[in-house]
Amino acid sequence: MKTQLPDHGPVEAPRFWRTLDERVETLEARQAAHDEFLPGAVPSYDDVHGLPPQPSNSRRDFLGLVSAAAALAATVACDRKPQGTVVPYTKRPVEVVPGVANYYASAYQEGRRVYPVLVKTREGRPIHITGNDEHPGVKGKTSPRAMADVLRLYDPDRLRAPKADGRVVAWPEAESRLAVALRGAKAAGKPILLFTGAVVSPTRKALLADLKAALPTLQHLAYEPASGDGAEEAARASYGQSVEVLPRLAKAKVILSLGADFLNGEDPEALAAWGAQRRLKTAKDPINRLWVLEGPLTLTGTNADQRLPVPPSRLAAVAFALARELAAHGLKLPAGADRSALPAGLPKGVDLPAATWSGLVKDLQHAGRNAVVLCGAQMPAEAHQAAHLLNAMLGSEALALVPAEPLATVKDLEAAVQAMAAGQPAVAIFWDVNPAYTYPRAAAWKAALAKVPFRAWIGLVEDETSAQCHLALPEHHWLESWGDATTPGAAVLRQPTVGALYDSRQGEDVLLGALRALGAATAEDGHAYLRARWEKGVLQGASFDQALHDGLVKTTASPAAPAFRGASVAAAAKRATQPTAEGLELVLFPGFATFDGRHANNSWLQETPDPVTKMTWDNPVSVSVQDAKALGIQEGDFVTLTLEGTTLTVPAVIQPGQAKGVLALALGYGRTTGGVAKGVGNDAYPLLGLDPTTANVRPGVRLAKGVGRKDLSRTQSHHRMEGRDLVRSLTMDEYAHNPQGHHHMPELVSLYEEQKFPDHKWGMVIDLAACVGCSACVVACQSENNVPVVGPEQVAKGREMHWIRIDRYYEGELENPKVVHQPMLCQHCDSAPCENVCPVNATNHSPDGLNQMAYNRCVGTRYCANNCPYKVRRFNFLEYTAYKTEPETLAYNPEVTVRPRGVMEKCSFCVQRINDVKIRAKGEGRPVQDGEVTTACMAGCPSDAIVFGDLKDPKSRVAQLVGISRAYRVLEEVGAKPAITYLADLRNPAVEGGTHAH
Amino acid sequence: MSDAIRKPLLDRTLALLAAPFLLGRQAIEAITPVVEPPRPALRPVPIPPPEHAVKRRG
Repeated sequence: MKTQLPDHGPVEAPRFWRTLDERVETLEARQAAHDEFLPGAVPSYDDVHGLPPQPSNSRRDFLGLVSAAAALAATVACDRKPQGTVVPYTKRPVEVVPGVANYYASAYQEGRRVYPVLVKTREGRPIHITGNDEHPGVKGKTSPRAMADVLRLYDPDRLRAPKADGRVVAWPEAESRLAVALRGAKAAGKPILLFTGAVVSPTRKALLADLKAALPTLQHLAYEPASGDGAEEAARASYGQSVEVLPRLAKAKVILSLGADFLNGEDPEALAAWGAQRRLKTAKDPINRLWVLEGPLTLTGTNADQRLPVPPSRLAAVAFALARELAAHGLKLPAGADRSALPAGLPKGVDLPAATWSGLVKDLQHAGRNAVVLCGAQMPAEAHQAAHLLNAMLGSEALALVPAEPLATVKDLEAAVQAMAAGQPAVAIFWDVNPAYTYPRAAAWKAALAKVPFRAWIGLVEDETSAQCHLALPEHHWLESWGDATTPGAAVLRQPTVGALYDSRQGEDVLLGALRALGAATAEDGHAYLRARWEKGVLQGASFDQALHDGLVKTTASPAAPAFRGASVAAAAKRATQPTAEGLELVLFPGFATFDGRHANNSWLQETPDPVTKMTWDNPVSVSVQDAKALGIQEGDFVTLTLEGTTLTVPAVIQPGQAKGVLALALGYGRTTGGVAKGVGNDAYPLLGLDPTTANVRPGVRLAKGVGRKDLSRTQSHHRMEGRDLVRSLTMDEYAHNPQGHHHMPELVSLYEEQKFPDHKWGMVIDLAACVGCSACVVACQSENNVPVVGPEQVAKGREMHWIRIDRYYEGELENPKVVHQPMLCQHCDSAPCENVCPVNATNHSPDGLNQMAYNRCVGTRYCANNCPYKVRRFNFLEYTAYKTEPETLAYNPEVTVRPRGVMEKCSFCVQRINDVKIRAKGEGRPVQDGEVTTACMAGCPSDAIVFGDLKDPKSRVAQLVGISRAYRVLEEVGAKPAITYLADLRNPAVEGGTHAH
Repeated sequence: MSDAIRKPLLDRTLALLAAPFLLGRQAIEAITPVVEPPRPALRPVPIPPPEHAVKRRG
């Protein structure tokens, strides 16, 4: 659907809107709202009801085919079906009790971040991941990508045996080739390059030190393409070492984000602290305030109380000007920092209203040590340095500065390319990294690497780098591996939750084998090496088995925070005020689904809509409303980006709220390998810069409208509910004085008898003020309930199958709208409109208030979906699951039926979890306790926005929340009596309508 | 409500042409089954238990 942007705004625009079409009220938008479903999503039966004619079989054709099919069935039905046998365990593993889940504590790593997790296994198969509830930081929460990574264990593309020069070999042969190459390099005194990701494991660090001792010419580069080189460079300048800046938002009353997307789901600890300050029960409860200065609209920006669009290249100048302003208001500059070096006033091209600017200064000044300034990993180094300065001035206690292992930057990779091109290294080993894809000059990389005599790769799925290697060694998935990590508050253990599915080995085992081949006396394998190290230095008398049981050992000692170097300010402030190149400014950021590309083969993540753009299976470039209008770009149009001789053609989306002159493009797409990843989206790495201080922010980009357009698989216009009063957002003033606003509870009259619930009445409360829209619930539900993946073509038709979706509503002006996220799932209505219209009673009500589905009774009339006012029922238009084979099917939860074609499905309130708790409670002769039943979405929600429980228990959390003043039910006037209550979103703006946070 | 809309010509022609062919093929196959070469059986992926691991609960 094409969207022509208006010259002027509409006279009476809707308050909340999801798409540009709705905002400008095009005829197409009105038609789409009227039609309910997207064109092509639902085939029409006939033209009796005025539906547009579509090529389809008529009733007569249908009856003819039925007769023919009956005749055919009679002919061929006298055939015996092949018999299958169910065989019990002959030797049952001692840990496995059929039908009973086991839980193992382990840990997942992504970049420098470590996620302590709890892994659920059934009959030996890991099937679901949540956070480790014993960890003092994450407290049972984790990230969407950590949850989805269980699918990577069962990736059919995994390398299953070692390969040498493309042919499958046995491990001894592979190991011997590696050992010969290493011995040869050592003897010749030639450099050996080892490329890895970030090293967060002290045991891995110790192993690498052992390897370095055995191979003096070893050069180790730990490279994380998505971690932000600017942050690394800035830490070295500000603190003289690599430092991780960790938000500690429980203490934060005022948060200023400089393009920092800390609410994007990656940091469960930050999300939990944020949620705790937003789940207000009364208007008198304390609330924090979030200021966001950013170019592209991030998920954090959508949750801001005050958001100001600023180009990323200007963020540093704005932040240094803010430091000068705060210094003028009495905040002390750190030693060595000179006030005169800081710019006076805002930089050219940044126009902030005076009242807003003074409000920001006043907020930070008043909050003092309870204020914190966070900078986005992809922002330029100067912006990070400005944030370091501001935090030092504020004396912020709402962050932790943790010394970290240094990371290589793109500059270090460039040096490695030059060394390889000169033929210096004799061996290159790649361990779980893919620089042939992530290095910006891939052709130069490949040409240089070809000159290294021996190349080995250790990893999960063969990729762009392994294609150039002599040895490809299959690595265990982390769910099959041993390891450890240091996190604030605990030393964390990783243990296998399943034995190796294939003939793979842990990366550590490969290196230990190499060490032994070099004559070093070392442990037999990674497990023994880890255990010996822990028993010697970490456990301090505690039991290793207990540490494995808990997944961690709590620690109290925290490393000393490094001191800020005031002398670094002058140079950074000078660079911040330099003019940038003419043209648009491109921000390259890790994709929500793909991160740096490592998750591109994960179909769960590819199909989870991006929380802001609602794109699936693609990475279009986001263009601001103003630029799209100036260049005549419409949604889906192909555009070309040109920068320093590199040209990329991608489709465009118009992003409300994006700063004028800014483009945003996700990394991690356009892979050339992987059954799922190959060909999905466009590779943006060639546009990454080689200057590590500003690698991800590239000014001087030329944008031109290309030829043609692409139908985007974007879900933001799906499942419309026709502009009804669905989402509510209050400022703190409104909450204090009129929490229900103009909304009035209608008097509900029902012809039906009131439902009776003898034991339980399950219900849910969703707090829109705490929900940030991170989509962790979507992934958790997908994993728990075997929700199928349908692919981009089906998504484009509105046939995605997610049982829970996050509706993202904009409010206000196109250039800088406010945003509200609303999780929408089956409301389990007491008077459910879907139940009344089902001709076969496939959907009906349970005695404890669940709207339940009998899949084998459903004949697929889809009447229920048509009659659902919330648009939460999903129909299996095609066969999405029957053709799957092992290993993909091993990821299924055996507690949940896998639905075939022609069947309707929807949220079940995780009935399997409810029944599990009920059976357990009955067996123990006690009632079900409040909080004992958790749905997958509730357990996965890092900000605790979702609460589930028994509404009949007046002491339950859910029953108490239902009664607070900002509670409402969506479409209550319909009289469906939904079991889900929403709590209105809250905003705490500084300029008007807010409350004092301190 | 016109027939032209409800019964697209192309659909009907295709159905008329294809149906006898498909039915005929099925009938022939019912009498003289086509012997397909046996497909290699999909080997189930073995699921070994994790060695030395300690479970939290279960």
